[in-house]
Amino acid sequence: MTIKIEAFYSPGCSKCAQAKEMLKIIVEEIGKDCITWRDVNVLEEIDYAVELGVLSAPAIAIDGALVFPALPSAEKFARELRKRLEQAVRDDVQNPSRK
Amino acid sequence: MLTIGKVAARAQVSADSIRFYEREGLLNPAQKSAAGYRLYTEEALRRLNFIKHAQQCGFSLSEIRELLELRAHDRSCCSDIYRVAVEKKLQLEAKIKALKTMSHALSQLIEVCSRDAKPLDECPILAALESSIAGQNARSKEPAKRRSRMHP
Repeated sequence: MTIKIEAFYSPGCSKCAQAKEMLKIIVEEIGKDCITWRDVNVLEEIDYAVELGVLSAPAIAIDGALVFPALPSAEKFARELRKRLEQAVRDDVQNPSRK
Repeated sequence: MLTIGKVAARAQVSADSIRFYEREGLLNPAQKSAAGYRLYTEEALRRLNFIKHAQQCGFSLSEIRELLELRAHDRSCCSDIYRVAVEKKLQLEAKIKALKTMSHALSQLIEVCSRDAKPLDECPILAALESSIAGQNARSKEPAKRRSRMHP
């Protein structure tokens, strides 16, 4: 079970860089082994960004869906990750073949 | 000093547009004459050109106001403007995507039409639009029906 995080950023955006650092620390704390992180440059992957509905940077998608269209607070982001991890564990218990 | 007519002529906009920009907080006269006429400097021309170009790039008046404020702010830097430009590009691309979807839907309707001189009640385009409207209405009523079944 892995949670896929995609952080949409715009190059040269200091707010994006700070946000990424802060959120990456949370990922490390919560479970780096079960969370993957990908930085997505909105200008290089604009079609993908638009497909997910990204209208500004930074924005965060989780498992291929835009969850935070604007920068979330550390608490909100951590709560979302914990909720998803708990759900994934429950799913694995109910359906072990998913693992 | 330039009168509103001269500024309008040189910037190739109407005097009404200049008054509108003033009401929107985008452009102010440098001063007013004793008779109350608006008077502008060359800066107004630069500002008008800026507004015109920004509009051509799809910026709304409130976004142009933000750009002008950033331009005038000492602490602003290139990355502030860059951020606004990237956001505008994302919005434009999203609009293009929505327009392409609409265009594709129209292509499908156009394809089913044989362009015969049939009466309007046999028009496949109108029929398709009618059925999609009916379908949407049925879908929007569905949850209410389900609710009423659950709570009779």
